[in-house]
Amino acid sequence: MTAESGLSTLEYHVLLAMAAGPLYGYAIKEAVEAESRGAVTPRAGSLYRVIARLISWGFVAEATPEGDVEPHPGRTRRYYALTREGRSALAEEAARLKGAAALAEKRLRVAGGRR
Amino acid sequence: MRRFLLGLVHLFPEGFRREFGEEMREQIREDHDRAASRGRGAALWFSVTTGADVLASALREHLSPTWIGEPRSKHTHIMGRERMTMGEWLRDLHRAARSLRRAPAFAAVTVGTLALAIGVNTGIFSVVRAVLLEPLPFERTDELVIIRGTAGPDLSYGLAEEFYLQFRDSEVFESVAFFFDFTSSLRVGDEMERAWMGGGSSNFLETLGVEPIVGRLPTPEEKGRVAVLSHVFWTDRYGADPDVLGRTVFASGADLTVIGVMPPDFFFPPAEGVTLLIPQEIEAADVTPDIVTGFLSILARVRPGVGAQELEVELTTLARRIPERFGGSAAYAQQVSDFRPLVVPLQEDILGNARGPLRILFAAVGVVLFIACANVANLFMVRAEDRLRETAVRRALGAGRARLIGSLFSEAVLVAALAGGFAMVLAWVCLPLILAGAPDVPRLGNVGLGAPALAFAAGLSALAALACGLVPAVRSSAPDLGRLRDGSRGSTRRRSLGRDTLVAAQTALALVLLIGSGLLVQSFWRLSNVDPGYDTEDIFTFQIAPVSEELFDGPSYARFHMSFVERLRALPGVESVGVIENVPLNEGLSRGRFLREEEAGDPDAGEALSYTFTSGEAFETLGIEVLEGSTFTVDDFELGLASVVLSRSAADLLWPGESAVGRRLVSGANGTAYTVIGVAEDILQNDFRDAPQPMFWLPLAGPTATSWALSSPGYVVRTSRAETIAPEVRDLVREVAPGAPMYRVFTMADLAADSMVELSFTTLMLAIVSALALVLGAVGLYGILSYVVAQRRREIGVRMALGAQARRVQRMVVAQGARVVVIGVVAGLAVAVASTRVLDRLLFDVESADAITFVAMTAALLVVGLLASWLPARRASSVDPIEALRGE
Repeated sequence: MTAESGLSTLEYHVLLAMAAGPLYGYAIKEAVEAESRGAVTPRAGSLYRVIARLISWGFVAEATPEGDVEPHPGRTRRYYALTREGRSALAEEAARLKGAAALAEKRLRVAGGRR
Repeated sequence: MRRFLLGLVHLFPEGFRREFGEEMREQIREDHDRAASRGRGAALWFSVTTGADVLASALREHLSPTWIGEPRSKHTHIMGRERMTMGEWLRDLHRAARSLRRAPAFAAVTVGTLALAIGVNTGIFSVVRAVLLEPLPFERTDELVIIRGTAGPDLSYGLAEEFYLQFRDSEVFESVAFFFDFTSSLRVGDEMERAWMGGGSSNFLETLGVEPIVGRLPTPEEKGRVAVLSHVFWTDRYGADPDVLGRTVFASGADLTVIGVMPPDFFFPPAEGVTLLIPQEIEAADVTPDIVTGFLSILARVRPGVGAQELEVELTTLARRIPERFGGSAAYAQQVSDFRPLVVPLQEDILGNARGPLRILFAAVGVVLFIACANVANLFMVRAEDRLRETAVRRALGAGRARLIGSLFSEAVLVAALAGGFAMVLAWVCLPLILAGAPDVPRLGNVGLGAPALAFAAGLSALAALACGLVPAVRSSAPDLGRLRDGSRGSTRRRSLGRDTLVAAQTALALVLLIGSGLLVQSFWRLSNVDPGYDTEDIFTFQIAPVSEELFDGPSYARFHMSFVERLRALPGVESVGVIENVPLNEGLSRGRFLREEEAGDPDAGEALSYTFTSGEAFETLGIEVLEGSTFTVDDFELGLASVVLSRSAADLLWPGESAVGRRLVSGANGTAYTVIGVAEDILQNDFRDAPQPMFWLPLAGPTATSWALSSPGYVVRTSRAETIAPEVRDLVREVAPGAPMYRVFTMADLAADSMVELSFTTLMLAIVSALALVLGAVGLYGILSYVVAQRRREIGVRMALGAQARRVQRMVVAQGARVVVIGVVAGLAVAVASTRVLDRLLFDVESADAITFVAMTAALLVVGLLASWLPARRASSVDPIEALRGE
């Protein structure tokens, strides 16, 4: 899956989660779970491969967190944030999804009318 | 469970792990604890799904990495990734090179073993490719067949002219042609020489489907007046001059007009070296059937879809009708009704002799490659285990192994690549040596180390890298490693089973090769000791073709030759000189039907006998024993005597149990009667493998001046200077017959060696290859046992501490090696029994299942195997118990 052929569900949700502001790893996982209403539960392996890929595409970069950071025992957490490219890729994908969703609603209505 | 999941993170590539490993572990810990707090079921579900996810992701990350080190822009990410992967790969190789440099012995042994094996494989492959795999230079060669007659297995004969005429119009063929080859005088400009030439029907080239590159194909009307040149001849004699068309070449006694030149890769069947083709035709009116055998090879292009069975039925049916169309005696009709066609694909006819030995050699070097790979894989396996033990105690299990497998694989790739490089050098050095000793095989001149050979060597290197890199990886499986991690020696049965299997397989294959070469060596020895009925040492032979106005009939040529014999006799060191029309091992004999005097005139009686012509001291010179009566005197031809000397088997055939001397023999062709003046020992004219053919010798000139004229017989000179006398003879020829070409210059010893070259070459090659296999196999066994001894040092130490005698310890180690060798020997014997039959055609006087060879070679292998076991065993028994135990 490359950026040119659209984003995978997990990629989309990871970008979506970060759109609210820089997040660290486990927070991303929780946000994705919540925002997909439990449809996507990323496991560690898949999640970090997606993060690695989004970084290599330049959609995501390491960032300093905004505001107060919850203190964490052990090593400092790494935060990830959307780049400008990541933001526009997310917008593009959202528009595509919106169009697809509209189409789905329209078709479902038509099919429902016939019934 | 949590620890197991955390351990799986180690499976990710190092770079990825460094970057994200800690975060992944953190997530796994947190998720696991949360799931566990919801109950066992949830924890199990979480573990299974997460385990699968991490495993799959790690594998994917290896195959198509997402982590490339640093962020890149969306537009360049693909290129960037490749660059980085390449860089990483180079780094890996660099690391492997460093680690190999630290183990020079390991590197030398592995690279050397593989280079040797890949080298010989590449060499033989390039021969196989040029000779067997390249298509022959004809159109749709698979449709072309040669038709001959057969009289039982391995017996085939050329057919008489009427067969060609009869087969020509068959529906099963698209086209039928004939060809033959002969040697005759040839003159281009002022230079006279003897050359190999071809004759063939005017549609011969058309049937082959090849057009000249210069000029055109012959027409039937041009028979005997034109010539089509081979490309080599055109280049050598005419400097590839395109204006050659229309020029005259004197060949086979006539001035011929050049009408065409064939393409460079083309050669006139039967083989390369035929200089030119003279188109011929056969007219039905000229044919008088007498004997079914003839000098023609019939070439036919079979229509697609015609099966072998159908073809044979058609040819048999057509042949049966020959007597009613062409007539002939009752004896001839009988021969025809016994006729059975032999249809051989042209490909087989041209390459058949080369195919058997080449396939055998190719298979043999393939075996050597297998043994080499098995050895090197074993060495890598040992290296893997050693290193694992080093690291296993300290490191987490997964990490150590994953990295080790990766680095071993890089080492294997590097070793195989180096071996491939050295192999090319080896092949480059050895190929000319191989070719120099090889029998005369078509297209051997095209053999070279081109791109295909390079690709082949590269392919073998890749294969070797896979075998040597992956086998240890697969073998180093988790259960054993678990034990290693505990630091225990534990049972190594499973791992040693893999090693032992490889060693047993090597032993088996080495034994097969040894038995094969043993059979060939025996055949060679027996063939070398065959008594052919004549001497092969200290005899020099050559032919000259004098041309002069004074030479025109039998006596004039005979007088010339006999006076030249006198001149040769005067050369220093010459003991005797004779003349013989067909020198043994160089030319075949003529053949005809001859009757006893009392049968004269009966068209159905008589025997098929071979004959040749001789004079001077030919019998003394060749050392052919005269059993009864006498041979010719120098003046026989002057007196017009009609006398013959019979060979022993001819005398036995014609007059069994009686003396043949004084009897008379009558020619079935012209009724001339000859008196038998002597009987001489049988000789093997063509090949030491054949049974002697019944034959007789005629004098140099016949009863009348025009009976026969021998323009260019062979001279045989007995002298201890056979190897060096050629220049003096050449000077003498220049003096006596200026311009007469001297050719077919040999020593009988060379001819004898040549007649055996197919066997001797295959024998030598297979002997070298099997010696290689034996050495590699022994080294493999030695290496493994040494390793096992090293590994069992502690156990041996304990045993010795408990009072075991050195001898017992030795016996224990030897027994371990012997078990593997014996298993290998049993398997090898089974394979040998099933496979040595492929050698049948090459063997002489030895059964392919010769018990003595089997026993001797098995014994030899057992000795080598026990020796390879005993050396490590001796080392084992010298283990100092205290040292060994302290070493732990």
